[in-house]
Amino acid sequence: MSFKSALESGKFTVTAEVGPPKGTDIKKILHEAGMLKGKVDALNVTDNQSAVMRINSMSFCKLLLDMGQEPILQMTCRDRNRIGLQSDLLGASILGIKNVLCMTGDHPNAGDHKEAKPVYDIESVQLLQVVDGLNNGRDLMGNDLQGATDYYQGAVVTPEANPIEPQMMKFEKKVKAGAKFFQTQAIYDIDKFKVFMSDARKFPVKILAGLVLLKSAGMANFMNKFVPGITVPQELIDELKAAGKEKALDKGIDIMARHIRQLKDENICDGVHIMAIGAEDKVPAIMERAGLL
Amino acid sequence: MIITKKRDFKDLMENLRNYKSFFLIGCSECASLCGTGGEPELAAMKEALEAEGKTVTGTLLPKTGCQTLGTKIELKKDKEACAKAEAIIVMSCGAGTQSAVEIFPDKPVFPSNDSLFLGNMTRFQMFDERCSLCGKCVLDKTGGICPVTACPKGLLNGPCGGTDNGKCEVSPDIECAWVRIYERMKKTDQLEDFKKVLEPKDWSASRKPATLNTRDKKEEKK
Repeated sequence: MSFKSALESGKFTVTAEVGPPKGTDIKKILHEAGMLKGKVDALNVTDNQSAVMRINSMSFCKLLLDMGQEPILQMTCRDRNRIGLQSDLLGASILGIKNVLCMTGDHPNAGDHKEAKPVYDIESVQLLQVVDGLNNGRDLMGNDLQGATDYYQGAVVTPEANPIEPQMMKFEKKVKAGAKFFQTQAIYDIDKFKVFMSDARKFPVKILAGLVLLKSAGMANFMNKFVPGITVPQELIDELKAAGKEKALDKGIDIMARHIRQLKDENICDGVHIMAIGAEDKVPAIMERAGLL
Repeated sequence: MIITKKRDFKDLMENLRNYKSFFLIGCSECASLCGTGGEPELAAMKEALEAEGKTVTGTLLPKTGCQTLGTKIELKKDKEACAKAEAIIVMSCGAGTQSAVEIFPDKPVFPSNDSLFLGNMTRFQMFDERCSLCGKCVLDKTGGICPVTACPKGLLNGPCGGTDNGKCEVSPDIECAWVRIYERMKKTDQLEDFKKVLEPKDWSASRKPATLNTRDKKEEKK
C-alpha cells in the first residue's frame, strides 16, 4: 500500500528518516534503508539537513524506489530559486517519486558552508502552492505544462513553537496552500500534543507526530537548550539518567515506543514520523516494542 | 540614510601608494551622521595623510555628495586645489564616490569607506537595517515591519520552525521578525491580514542597475 493510501485508509502510518552522507560512499545508508524495508510506510530523505552539504535528496529517493521502498522527497527553499525547484519537482516526478515534503530549510548559518548565499526565493507556503500548480498542469507563472505531476504533498509544523499563535496561522496557510499531510517537529509531551491536535483536527489533513529518539540525558538537555521548538520534559530526562549511561539508549527506545503506543491507542494522530538521527538501525526495535511489527 | 564604515587605513594607504597629493570630498548628509565623512573626519583624514608624507590640496564638504550636478557646482570654487591633486579621496558612500568619478574623468578616485546598508539611526551612531529597497513594498501587509529585511530568510508568510521565544535561529541577537509582526498586528487589530497568503515576490522589481526618470517627457524635449 502506498504512503498516501495508508494515510487515507486510516491506518496508523509510520515514516522514518534517512540522511544521505557527505560523499559518495553509501554503504551505511543503504544498509539502514534496507533494514526498514517492509516495516515503515515511507522513508523521508533529507535535503542537505542543517544546511550541511551532502548527496541530494532526489538521487537517494531514486535509489530507494529501485530497492522497492517508498521515499518522501524533502525539499527546502534554501538552495534553489523558483526555476530550480520547479525543474527538480518535474524531474523527481519522472523518476517516479510521489511524495514531497515542502520546507523553508535551515539557514546556511547553521551548516558547513556559512558563507553561502541563502536563496529563499520562495518559501514553504509558496512551495506548496507551486506543487499544487504542477499537479494541476501549470507552473508558477501559470504556463501550461506538457504533462502534470501527481504529488502527495506535505509540510511541517512545530506543535510546541513559542509563541504558538503565529505558528498555527502559518499551519493554516499551509493547509490552504494544498498540504495534505504534516510531519511535526519532535514532540515529547503527549498532553501538550493533544491540545495541538484538537486545533489541527479541524483541518482535512493527516498528521504524523514527529518523534526524535533520545539517546542520553545529555542529548535531551542539549535539545532543550539549543533546538528551537523542542522541549523534553524533566521526567523523561530523569528516566534517562536513572537508566545509567549504558542503558540510556535502550531507555530512549522504551520512551519512544511508549509514546507511539499512546498516540495509536488513544487515536491522537494519524501516525508517527520516527527520527532516529544516527541510530536508524534501532527503528525496527522501536516499532517492535510499540507493537507495530 | 546610507550607512558607511571607515575602511582600514592601511588598505587605503595601499591604494594611494602611487600618488602624493589628494583632494578630499566628504558629505554633509549620511556620512556626517555616520561619523565617516563629516567636517571632523575630513580634518582627521588630512592630518593622517600628512603624517604619512602626503599632501592635501583642499577639502570639500558638499551638501549632498550623491547629487552629482550640485556637487560639481560646489566644486567650482575649489578648481585650483582639485587641479593640483593627483587623486581624489571620497569619504561618503559608493554613490558619492561615483559622483566624483563622473566629475573627474581624468583623475583616480578612491573611497575611504565601505557602504553597508540603507539604515535607520536608532541612537547616536547606532544604525539598523529596516528596508532592503526591494522595489515592491510589503509593509502594507506585514504590520509595517519588513520581513524581507528583518528575517534572514526573507519569509513572507509567517515564522519558520527556527523561531524560539521571539528569537531567530540565525542568532539570539536577532528578534524573530514574524513574532514582531504578529505581536504588532495583534495590537493594531490587523490579524485578518496576517492570515492572507503572500504570493512569491516579484524580484524583477529590484533588478540592477535600477534607473528612474520621473521627468515629464514634454519637459525633457525643451
